[in-house]
Amino acid sequence: MRMYRKTTIVVLSFFLSAAATYGQPFELLLQNGHVIDPANGIDAKMDVAIAGGKVSKVAANIPPSDAKRVIDVAGYYVCPGLIDIHTHVFVGAKPETFADGSLSISPDDITLKAGITTVVDAGTSGWRNFPVFKDQVIDRSKTRILAFLNIAGSGMSGKTTQENLSDMEVGKVVETIQAYPGIIVGVKIGHYEGKDWIPFENALEASNRSNVPLLVECHLPQYSLEDQLKKMRPGDIITHSFEKVSERMSVVDDNKVVRPYVKEAQKRGILFDLGHGGAGFWFSEAIPALQQGLAPNSFGTDLHRFSMNAGMKDMLNVMSKYLAMGMSKEDVLLRATWLPAKSIRREDLGNLREGATADVAVLSIRDGNFGFIDAGGNRINGTKKFEAELTIREGKIVWDLNGISATKFVK
Amino acid sequence: MFVSKLRLISSLLICLLFSFSHHVHAQSIDILLKGGHVIDPKNKIDGVMDVAITDNKISQVAASIPVTNAKKVIDAKGLYVTPGLLDMHVHVYPGNDLDAYIANGPTSVAPDGFTFRAGVTTVVDAGSSGWRNFRQFKEQTIDKAQTRVLALINIVGWGMVGRFEEQDVADMNPVMTSHMIKTLFPDIIVGIKAAHYWGDFTQVDRAVEAGKIANVPVMVDFGEHEPPNSIESLFMQHLRPGDIFTHTYSYGPTKRETVVDENGKVKPFIFAAQKRGIIFDVGHGGGAFSWRQAVPSIQQGFKPDVISTDLHTQSMNGGMKDLSNVMSKFMAMGMSLQEVVARSTWGPANVINRKELGNLTVGSDADVAVFSLRKGDFGFIDIRGTRLKGTQKLETELTIRAGKIVWDLNGISTPAWDAK
Repeated sequence: MRMYRKTTIVVLSFFLSAAATYGQPFELLLQNGHVIDPANGIDAKMDVAIAGGKVSKVAANIPPSDAKRVIDVAGYYVCPGLIDIHTHVFVGAKPETFADGSLSISPDDITLKAGITTVVDAGTSGWRNFPVFKDQVIDRSKTRILAFLNIAGSGMSGKTTQENLSDMEVGKVVETIQAYPGIIVGVKIGHYEGKDWIPFENALEASNRSNVPLLVECHLPQYSLEDQLKKMRPGDIITHSFEKVSERMSVVDDNKVVRPYVKEAQKRGILFDLGHGGAGFWFSEAIPALQQGLAPNSFGTDLHRFSMNAGMKDMLNVMSKYLAMGMSKEDVLLRATWLPAKSIRREDLGNLREGATADVAVLSIRDGNFGFIDAGGNRINGTKKFEAELTIREGKIVWDLNGISATKFVK
Repeated sequence: MFVSKLRLISSLLICLLFSFSHHVHAQSIDILLKGGHVIDPKNKIDGVMDVAITDNKISQVAASIPVTNAKKVIDAKGLYVTPGLLDMHVHVYPGNDLDAYIANGPTSVAPDGFTFRAGVTTVVDAGSSGWRNFRQFKEQTIDKAQTRVLALINIVGWGMVGRFEEQDVADMNPVMTSHMIKTLFPDIIVGIKAAHYWGDFTQVDRAVEAGKIANVPVMVDFGEHEPPNSIESLFMQHLRPGDIFTHTYSYGPTKRETVVDENGKVKPFIFAAQKRGIIFDVGHGGGAFSWRQAVPSIQQGFKPDVISTDLHTQSMNGGMKDLSNVMSKFMAMGMSLQEVVARSTWGPANVINRKELGNLTVGSDADVAVFSLRKGDFGFIDIRGTRLKGTQKLETELTIRAGKIVWDLNGISTPAWDAK
């Protein structure tokens, strides 16, 4: 008898919960927006339904009665949460230092309001201090944080550690990547002033052995651009692609023609990340490069203390520069979502496939007279600018610019 | 004859010197903001004027300053030029103590990522540190930030290290607290904070005691008492004129007495308290601003003395966002641009008794904000997730801190990339 009653309750409650789920299967419905999901070839008016922190349906005319909460996003673009593959977010209290220091930026300060749901830290940590980075920042941020691990054991902890050839251990890097497979997506070679190729070769070997891409930064003044590109494998990423600094040769020559070996590298499948930063992006290089078919594969911002308030500002601003340079919004969004996801081999990200984690950016494109500055303090004018109306991370609203998800205040 | 000749020569020389120095002066404008609408509440300026900056100071505010005398001219036509904003309530003491709350902990933010893009050049940290850890706060944040960081020091010696530690009456030492202000850091510490206390009036009374010794105001966050303590008693018996009540428009009646009653009426003693000189600060935060308190208040003529953010990680991406957004909210409730600028410049400068700030008087540090007033269909959210619509929104075009351009949204200070 007892047994029987218990079973009844279990069966009954199962039916009840199934009915509730069936009645309103979605927690959140973004209605009437224009979905741009380059990975899935969607560029049309559609609704996006979210349940359990996942994208559960992308289709035209999903009935609002199927959702507990409906947000009208008519007039806006609904995209996968944006991905910034070049940031420095290992923030801490150490002065004048990137690793565990005050030159890094706490990611949530800047990302969510720019529609970004995933950032990749570009080698601020090395194998020695990655666990600190993870505990201190990665595990505590709303933004999803992935990382390139620096070949230098202590990452970006200042010149002496970055120049120390004896602390660029391939084995340790490989071990650490194996220990954090969901988080570390690649290896970075960034700052080294010597002529010796050991740091580069070691970084390459570590990424080879781990089967992850290598990110090559610019602060390698003794290596020529040509040699760097030659050593890189298809799928490896070079950043600060359009810089004009003494530390590395520009991708265009004095006549603003893209250098042949750069074209060759592009053809071979080397990926060019923008890497704006404080010095990494110049219109004088980027505009002719774009005209000659060299577009960035991703819009890495190189977010840090000195770039955030300068010409860079945030990734939407960097993306808007390319709108001003003539790139279509579809091409821009492709380079802000799916291409960066593929470049870090995280095809689970940067798209709105059903079942994917519900990281969504709802963007508007403002019309007006805007200006955009490069690292040299030069301006181009534009008439369109991205703005993030709503950012959703794992199904949760983490940014709402104009209260489109809120209820009207009634006195 | 000889003497008169000498006189002539010397007077000529003097003339020459004067004209030379005048010449040098005239040519030495570093930045000239041309044609903007200047709102400088202290100096009662509210009209189109030029603002000249020389040697990182305001050197002239006048109609039609000649451009020939300036190294850099910025066209501010159609824009509003104000003193750099002063955000009187922030938490900017981040650090590596992951178990801490605000003091050296994860709930604080680094200021520069929020200030300049909102036109803010000075912030006042509202009691994140106490006398025991203020030096660390200074070393980690104050000395490193581009933003000018001032502080209210917490009456609790360890500041906001944790809600539990903030209850320790034995660590509320008026003498040590006032020493820190008077003896050690009178230029940085502008007042005292009492906050998050669960008990009676002891904490406030200790803070006021320290405030009397150091001759500075006290700011009170008075919202964690169950049942709530009387704010009438707080305003009329415990605080002095010039002391500050923050989180004015908070709604959480089980722990904090509200300024507006359940019938939507501002309580009469609130007006009396403001008349007495109690300063009402907005302190928006992540949980301390509700339309149901603010809207009737503004309608019934109870306006805040200071508009501030209570910036920290729990407020930065919510309804608060930044100071210019909070100011825009008050405009959506019907206050004028002039009124909200006054409450985020000269108003707070007076409250913290730093009268060299929050104005564009010639000779003051060149902290300047340039805004556009966007027109459109905007929405603003409170902490309860309800929305009020507005048609205007402040956007920060340019921020200048001590004569240096630290934010330029649309490149109005820069040349075109292909200019020769």
